[in-house]
Amino acid sequence: MVQIQFFSLLRMLLKQEQIDLPAVEGETVAQLLERIQQQLPTPFLHKLIDDDGSMHAGTIILINRQNIHHLDGLQTTVRDADVVAMFPPGAGG
Amino acid sequence: MPAERYARQVLHWGEKNQQRIAEATVLVGGVGGLGATVSQLLVRAGIGKLYLVDDGIVDWPDLNRQILYGEEDIGEKKLPLAKKRLLAINSTTEIALIEGRIDENFVMPAGLNAIADCLDNYRSRFLLDELTPQGVFLVHGGLEGDHGQIMTLQSGRSQPMAEIFAGARQPEESIPVTPDNVIVVAGLMTNELFATLFGQPKLLNRCLVITLADFHIAFLDV
Repeated sequence: MVQIQFFSLLRMLLKQEQIDLPAVEGETVAQLLERIQQQLPTPFLHKLIDDDGSMHAGTIILINRQNIHHLDGLQTTVRDADVVAMFPPGAGG
Repeated sequence: MPAERYARQVLHWGEKNQQRIAEATVLVGGVGGLGATVSQLLVRAGIGKLYLVDDGIVDWPDLNRQILYGEEDIGEKKLPLAKKRLLAINSTTEIALIEGRIDENFVMPAGLNAIADCLDNYRSRFLLDELTPQGVFLVHGGLEGDHGQIMTLQSGRSQPMAEIFAGARQPEESIPVTPDNVIVVAGLMTNELFATLFGQPKLLNRCLVITLADFHIAFLDV
């Protein structure tokens, strides 16, 4: 299984903290996000990804604590037992 | 100084920890919303020495949450005002001012036990983290609207903040900030700063994410 965690504004939007999905061999983050959207009643991909398939600035995605910016971005492969966290941090002080 | 000054908190954390606070030096980066409260709480608790870093001037939109400043301060530099108000609360704390921004020219003072990231932009936050001396704890706080996060990093034992928050957005427009959320996040930051001074940080490589809208808290491992 892959554990997907939602924080802050995303948790409020989706009205849930976590979803667990069976791992799919070779699936990328982008494909996983599409699959999550199909499972949930509230569309949310528009908050994360532009029409051209690139990531919006604002939400960080960590896989097992590593920001996907330092991996292969949305093309990073997700594996069984991975923890995927999505978090839009607050910038103000 | 009356011996009973710290009596109520010593009942809670004991003389040994009070001594740790009295001997500690903390740098507060940014004396705006978060920094004004964090520095005041540290001073009230009897912190030994504070470095305050800021280059701001008090403006009307600051007054909803920057609790060291008032109407008569509009147009004045924040740092001298902060020092005056903090010394009026506790004259035993040594307060050193570093007027300027956290940028490539910033020189980190020596002898720090902890750093409070009370800044309002990622560029300065990342630099502050990068300049944090080996072994020193940095307690980060950030907020937006009903949401906020607190996280502790230690140079040498943590990922750089710039890697954790890569891709985070620095809004060009004004960020929504309310007085209550600022005080909550600053209070939690100060609690964690005390914990680092006592040698027991609770949020090392963990981000505490709070949402006031439904009083929700969650932890994100980083």
